[in-house]
Amino acid sequence: MSFLDVWYLIIGNPVLNVLIALSHLLSGSFGLAIIALTIIVRLISWPLTRRQLKSSKAMQDMQPKIQELQKKYGKNQQKLQQEMMKLYKEAGINPLGCLWPMLVQIPIWIALYQAIIGALATTPENLLDLAHRLYSWDIVNQAIPLNSQFLGLDLGLIGSAQTGGLFLAIIVGGTMWVQQKMTQAPAVEPGQQSTSRMMLLMMPLLFGFITLMVPSGLALYWAVSNIIGIITQYFFIGGWGYLKFRSPFSKQ
Amino acid sequence: MKQPKILFLVVIALLPLTLVSCIYGSAQLARGWSGTVVHDGIAYVGTVDGRVMAINSSTENLEWSYSTTPATAPSSGLSCGQTSVPTAIYGTPVADRDMVYIGTYSGEVYALNTANGECIWVYPPKGEGYIGAVVGSPVIANGIIYISSSDGKVYALNTTNGKLKWETDHTLAEKLWTSPAVIGDTLYVSTFDGHLYALSLETGELSDWSFESEAGFASSPVIDEDIIFLGSFDRHLYAIKIGSDVPVWKFPQEKPAGNWFWASPIVNEGIVYAGCLDGKVYAIDAETGEELWQFESQDSRGKPAAIVSPPVLVGDLLIVANEAGNVYVINPETGDSERIKNRENGDEPTINAQIRASLCAHEDLVYIRGEDNRLYVVDIDKREVSWDFLLTIEE
Repeated sequence: MSFLDVWYLIIGNPVLNVLIALSHLLSGSFGLAIIALTIIVRLISWPLTRRQLKSSKAMQDMQPKIQELQKKYGKNQQKLQQEMMKLYKEAGINPLGCLWPMLVQIPIWIALYQAIIGALATTPENLLDLAHRLYSWDIVNQAIPLNSQFLGLDLGLIGSAQTGGLFLAIIVGGTMWVQQKMTQAPAVEPGQQSTSRMMLLMMPLLFGFITLMVPSGLALYWAVSNIIGIITQYFFIGGWGYLKFRSPFSKQ
Repeated sequence: MKQPKILFLVVIALLPLTLVSCIYGSAQLARGWSGTVVHDGIAYVGTVDGRVMAINSSTENLEWSYSTTPATAPSSGLSCGQTSVPTAIYGTPVADRDMVYIGTYSGEVYALNTANGECIWVYPPKGEGYIGAVVGSPVIANGIIYISSSDGKVYALNTTNGKLKWETDHTLAEKLWTSPAVIGDTLYVSTFDGHLYALSLETGELSDWSFESEAGFASSPVIDEDIIFLGSFDRHLYAIKIGSDVPVWKFPQEKPAGNWFWASPIVNEGIVYAGCLDGKVYAIDAETGEELWQFESQDSRGKPAAIVSPPVLVGDLLIVANEAGNVYVINPETGDSERIKNRENGDEPTINAQIRASLCAHEDLVYIRGEDNRLYVVDIDKREVSWDFLLTIEE
């Protein structure tokens, strides 16, 4: 059995069939099926998300101590890193813990990407390939072919090939920025401020750009996933975290 | 240092997505699986690089080749960009008198002179855009060629000059990938959303009768007297009496088949022969829908292999080819079968390529275009691949 066979058996085909079955259950709407699948994925990855949020909240609580360290060892980066790691260790925090929910979702992204292209069968080859990957469930077979239209978007088309694609890219980038901003502590050192600002912008811009290059169905998944992430964070950390809405007329 | 490390990890994690999406996207480009038609001793076939080739079946030489307009393939993967690719040809060319007609996936219909391959007309005319992608085969009746298109419409064109006689005034479905079928003064079209429409050959107007099924229709309709046979995505083959809202029968009657009936069935002397993507060919009583026999085709490892191409009859023998490249000669009464062996290695499939194109039976020969872009000619009497022809021209 090749790697590809194992991939389809364990991840690719289950995602494809669940997505199609959901589409049938949700009045044939492929867009709603993607949203439902996103919720399911977020529920499955909830234990990891909760750990990440706990970690973020603890880091937020530790900010005064970190700022103190930054002031104290600002000129000695090596020492600062050592002291910060010590602090994290004492508090039982893994600073890279926030990556796990994202890493766990990467196989789902790939499977979803394949499922969207496969399920919408944009070429006859895709449709024939789909026949070999479907389970024998009635609910799946009755759903074929799927309707790719959702809120004015063709979910099988890449973002840059349709008018709504740019709007979706802005939503994906914007929601990702908000989600990051809520948990990312502002840097105190002036030297680190620009790096921090760049990091905060890098991922939303990257994902916004990728949105234009992949089928809009995958971008819909990202947008909904980010929105769920924002809501979860809001209730878990009790507010908007580091995201402050400051009036341009207010004094510093 | 922490944040650049995190960013680095994320970028590294995104690389597989980029890679897989690019590979997967490009692997699904439309390549086409044109069938073959033989007319006045010449075999006409579409190639994977968007050509129509005319091959003399006696001399086994190329008579002429015509290259259709390359298509622009939209990117379906990350950063793969738009590229100009040969247009795919899925349908089987249709030959009539001194012309051969073909529809392309880039949304054009060509009429070529059978003598020299000269393009007599193209629809829509050059510079006037395209219709939707053509996947089904055209059908000709009374000097008019009928084509279904991925824009959901059916077009009727004058075979002599390519002038539009009519087009359906609204889309019949999101896309039409099946071939229309003609009987009497009516054109029948099946759709992926489960409709079977009847249109006037003269005007394209929908008749009062149409049939609606819960599941979509995967195959093109085949008509025998007043019964239409076609396969569905619900893993059944339907027999529908024209004018009736209820199917005469659904096959299998109890449990659905192992996969879709993708290939159009054929009907002969009261028996329907239907190939299925589950690898089986079923013989069904056309009147009652009862199974007479079934035969399972296999790949070289002994596993069932999908039947994508419609079967054909050569004399009193049924010829079936599966996707794995095996060709079988079957007794249509009993279902007894014989696999045609590979010329070089008897254990290998009959031809070393996938078979998805429609088969063409002419005299005692069966013409098969393999997915390796070769035309194979199988001599049924001798039970062997008689000759093959590489459908490539070096520029």
